[in-house]
Amino acid sequence: MTAAAMSLGYRRARAVRVAWLASAGRLLRIELRRNAMIWLLPVLGALFWFDAYRTAMSYPAVWDLRASVLPAKVVIDFAALVAGASAWMGARETRCRTCGLVTTTPQPGWTRRSATLAATLTWVIVAYLACVALLYAATAVQVTWGGPPWWPVAVGAAALAAVCTIGFAAGTFFASRFTPLLTAVAVFVLEVVGFRSAVGAFGGYRLLSPAGSAPGQDAGLFYPYLPDLAIAQAMFFTGLAVAAVSALGLSRAAGGGARLRVAAAAAGLAGLVAAGVSTGLVGTARVGPNGVVIAALHDAGSDQPLRYAPVCADATGVPVCIHPAFRSYLPKVTAALGPVISLVAGLPGAPVRVSEVATSLVASTNQQADVAGTPPVYRFAMPPTPGSFVQIAGENFTQSLQIAFVTTVIGGSAPSANGPETGNLAQQVVETVLLRRVGLTDGTLNPPTNAAAVAAIRRFAALPAATRHAWLAAHVPALRAGQITLAELP
Amino acid sequence: MTAVGVQRPAAGATSGAVPSFPSPGRMAAGVRLVWLYLASRRVPVALAALAAFGTALRAGLEWHWIGAAGPGVRQLPSLLEAGAASVIAVVAYSPFGEPERATGRWLPWLRLGTAAALTGAAVGVLAAGAAAAHLPGGTLAIGRNVAGATGIGLLTAAVTGSALAWIGPMAYTVVAGFALLSNWTTPWIWPGTPPHDRGAAISAGLVFAVGMVVITVRGARDSAAGDGGDGPG
Repeated sequence: MTAAAMSLGYRRARAVRVAWLASAGRLLRIELRRNAMIWLLPVLGALFWFDAYRTAMSYPAVWDLRASVLPAKVVIDFAALVAGASAWMGARETRCRTCGLVTTTPQPGWTRRSATLAATLTWVIVAYLACVALLYAATAVQVTWGGPPWWPVAVGAAALAAVCTIGFAAGTFFASRFTPLLTAVAVFVLEVVGFRSAVGAFGGYRLLSPAGSAPGQDAGLFYPYLPDLAIAQAMFFTGLAVAAVSALGLSRAAGGGARLRVAAAAAGLAGLVAAGVSTGLVGTARVGPNGVVIAALHDAGSDQPLRYAPVCADATGVPVCIHPAFRSYLPKVTAALGPVISLVAGLPGAPVRVSEVATSLVASTNQQADVAGTPPVYRFAMPPTPGSFVQIAGENFTQSLQIAFVTTVIGGSAPSANGPETGNLAQQVVETVLLRRVGLTDGTLNPPTNAAAVAAIRRFAALPAATRHAWLAAHVPALRAGQITLAELP
Repeated sequence: MTAVGVQRPAAGATSGAVPSFPSPGRMAAGVRLVWLYLASRRVPVALAALAAFGTALRAGLEWHWIGAAGPGVRQLPSLLEAGAASVIAVVAYSPFGEPERATGRWLPWLRLGTAAALTGAAVGVLAAGAAAAHLPGGTLAIGRNVAGATGIGLLTAAVTGSALAWIGPMAYTVVAGFALLSNWTTPWIWPGTPPHDRGAAISAGLVFAVGMVVITVRGARDSAAGDGGDGPG
């Protein structure tokens, strides 16, 4: 073969490739224009704003916390509708009774359906990324620390791709007017059951649910974001998506010949293996103090605490320091703690510094706070911030901070989830009186109700402030140790 | 399906005389019309789908997918109610389009009767699925929620066409799910209110009535035969 012939052959091959690409591009353009998913976009946009966006904006401006709504809210809200609309697109040839017509076209069934699926998937991903962009843009103007996490974005995209391709396959194989709605309901039921299993439960296969990866309030603040679970979830959903696409290639209607079927079978097998392996990996997951750890995917470097310079204020002579991500809450924190710091100022063991720490540091004793070190430092985990979706019943942000401080400093242990008052009756009496002094009411405090305690509260509250402070200065170590009885209170 | 049998005088009917009750021939023609209408709307398949939702509700109760208390306790039941309502809305699809509208004077009544009967069947099947088990809200809540979701589905069918009418009830379920978890108490979120809540019953009934009127008078917005139905066979 001469060089000229080789050049001619190369040019011809290139021309064929360009023509094929142009043809595929044209087909994709047509499918994009004539896709049912376009009509679903306003509904998806409205649902995003109504649920995911408003929920995210109610969280503190912390990247990882805001990003957690992507798999836990956006995917959950979109999945059923995406699956149904995708099934609708998959059933199009049968629905419109054009199977016989399109069989005679030069393009095999595989190419036609791939173009339809690609267009449907493109709209889904475009809608999802638009939501991500909106959420991240709104967060970017508010955050004071850190950068955007991308693993939650990847998990959401993989999950939506999986439901889109599975819905499309369902529509292709079971074309009926009921298929889209039954697919949507089936996906929805899986979500609801998965959500119920995932929320409040840790470990096991339920962690495969996108709703199972909601992080704690200080995720990504004191320790790096742990991507272990996100990697396994993305692998699982991508595997399912590949398997569903491969199933389309294996059908008789694909019309692509033996080579296509072998390739589809190999890809499908690879997808199923990926899904199976990720399921197995999730089965080995354990919940660590900073997130879900999967040993095979875990990077030990992620266990090192993050370095940060706390932001501090010193309005009462006791410095109050919090994580820079919560910088905007510093005035609220100092305003809340100022009155209670003044109440215990000068008492033995009263903290000389207030410092926010990771929830995992104080949660090990099932508390929100503790007093540790010499000189004593009051360490607390940030309670649900104002406007947060999760609030402690009957308490707001300020009250949570004040109750935690007084009960920890006087009673030696922070309030539990059952109520603000802790410790023995004498400790509860003192805590009630001090917290009433800063304006808290009995509706929030839930003070002891037996006659002796009520009388002690009345007696202790009637003391002049200086007398009460002097008594506390003399007796607070014994009170904290639980050695003071109701009768011994002045 | 054609309306020829209906337009033609029934065999045995006396010309010019108006019988006091339908003759057997007219009765047979009427029954045949109703059966052909139901078959063209795939009502038997719809009944099977409704039965599947009833079974799913039973399974949810048996296997404790539905909790005993808490804000999310109504999520799965309300989803299955919305699914049943979606089936009713999808059934509104006409495979004949304009020719059917031009020939059948009984068509609005057939639409009304089918939607009403299927709504009753959906309530009955779901109530049967929840029989002898504790379903939060009970049968009263099932009836109210199915009626409200059916109204939404029928209204969506009038706007988007019946084949995509499931989008309305499904989107409502997402909104209701958020409202349930947030403890909203607006009467427009029926699943989140107690079964004896008068405001919720009125709003659900109102939406159902409007949906029934719209689907009876106008029918679903199905542009042409072949766009939204089933494949051959």
